[in-house]
Amino acid sequence: MAAELLLAAAATLILAVVLAPPRVQRAGLLTRGLVGLAGMAAIAIAPTLDLILLILLVLAVLQAGLVSHRDFASRVRAPVLAIALLALGLAFERVEGPPLLLRFGAVGIVAGLVAAIGLLPYLHEFDPEESTVASPIPWIAFVGPVLAVAVLSRVKQVLPADASDAFGAMLIGLGLLNVLWGTVAAWRTESDAAAWRYSFLSDWGLVLCGFGLAIADGQGAALILLLSIVLGRLPLYLWSRQGVRDKTPTDRPINLLVAAALAGSAPFAGFAARVMLLRGATQIYWPLAVVLAAAMLLWLPASLRLGRSMGLPRGRQAIGVAIVLALSVFLGIYPQPLLALAG
Amino acid sequence: MIEVGAALVVWLGAALIVLADARRGLALGLAAVTIGFAVLAWGSGQPVGAIALLVGGLTGALRCWTPGPATWGLMPPGSTPRLVLCVAAGLLSLWISASVTTTPGGPLLFAVLVVLGLMAARVLSGGDKVADLTAIACFALALASSPALASSIPTAPVPYIFGALIAAAVVVAPVTLPQGAARSGKDGG
Repeated sequence: MAAELLLAAAATLILAVVLAPPRVQRAGLLTRGLVGLAGMAAIAIAPTLDLILLILLVLAVLQAGLVSHRDFASRVRAPVLAIALLALGLAFERVEGPPLLLRFGAVGIVAGLVAAIGLLPYLHEFDPEESTVASPIPWIAFVGPVLAVAVLSRVKQVLPADASDAFGAMLIGLGLLNVLWGTVAAWRTESDAAAWRYSFLSDWGLVLCGFGLAIADGQGAALILLLSIVLGRLPLYLWSRQGVRDKTPTDRPINLLVAAALAGSAPFAGFAARVMLLRGATQIYWPLAVVLAAAMLLWLPASLRLGRSMGLPRGRQAIGVAIVLALSVFLGIYPQPLLALAG
Repeated sequence: MIEVGAALVVWLGAALIVLADARRGLALGLAAVTIGFAVLAWGSGQPVGAIALLVGGLTGALRCWTPGPATWGLMPPGSTPRLVLCVAAGLLSLWISASVTTTPGGPLLFAVLVVLGLMAARVLSGGDKVADLTAIACFALALASSPALASSIPTAPVPYIFGALIAAAVVVAPVTLPQGAARSGKDGG
């Protein structure tokens, strides 16, 4: 699964560099993106969680060292807390002790993962004016997917069977919380840029629910949703920044198409993922499917807002948006080869 | 007994980093944490790992010691909450490692827990960059040592070497580019 996400991240980097607006420094973007990709590749092939945490520490320091008006301490805070929670959780899983300690370990791992991705409230400061590479967006949309897959696959080695159920339940609980929080916050916020950030949270909520279900449908849905974050929402966010700055909401057909893709409507990738997620939730516990379906419907108005905020894509932006929408349609109509590849 | 002493040295070093605001105090704290973890690594049958930790951690501590004003900055006014934090973190870690768990590696568990807790608190409290980098170096040492907590799995020296490299690099390497032109997404779209 991590290999597919790594390839998707590489493709997104190429798209972002080649189709970047003329004022963006492509060399700098490419260099930083390649450093991130190298870190993600190291995370994907690291045999143990300890090595993943050390690699994460390096990435955190490198990102916090980038030029930004936010100080080093405020940018390194979230990853350091994430690593601390993951390491504490891992330590509790490794030692011999009462079952309660193992459950605390599972809590630490889930909380650390959520903090590393950027889903904990108030921890990742988001400034719409900050450059994307120095902002929390790379954590949530570029490094995060590979990290989550790597951590969740390695954690099975250390998590005992009786803590696995609690682990899955926590993922689902936090997932639902993020879906609702992301949706409501994207509605209520005045800033379009903040609404884009909350849209990532909402998608991640569905991903966490998919992983928490621990059945094939849930895992498949999580993979497609992660790919739609990396290959869809992230590049669309990058190309929307000019429109968001100009504050020129547009109601052209292309904006409606973008809104449909972001909402997970048919035939885009999000639709297949949502159907699989609902099918998986029905198998496990049907009221969960009802809650998920309601949350998915709630997301529609916010998606329309995001689609309008893009403005009218022109030139390279328009080509990029067309490529992303085409990829999303392909993934939505024909996800089976990808799912088979991921096992 | 040596391992218990080493774990206490680790706690002392971590407490120094929390309580100090100047380079010398931070350097001494990093050196103490390094020595403590190196002894614990040696005790768990990892001589290569112990040497790696010693080289990496002491390189970072030396780099932290040399530049800047020669002050210790220990317990400046208003340090009472930090002092309470150090004592509380030590007691909580001691309770977990000595009473809650039945694992044989109690001193190592104590050292890992206390460093992770205190260093996370140090970074979250928002100090200056040198203090944060020193705390991150300690983090790397603790993360490198934690695989040895799993008594059933033989540990390799790779995490120790990697952790030691990070501990040295984060303090030695300049990680911040010049300030300016930070806004407006010029480098990130």
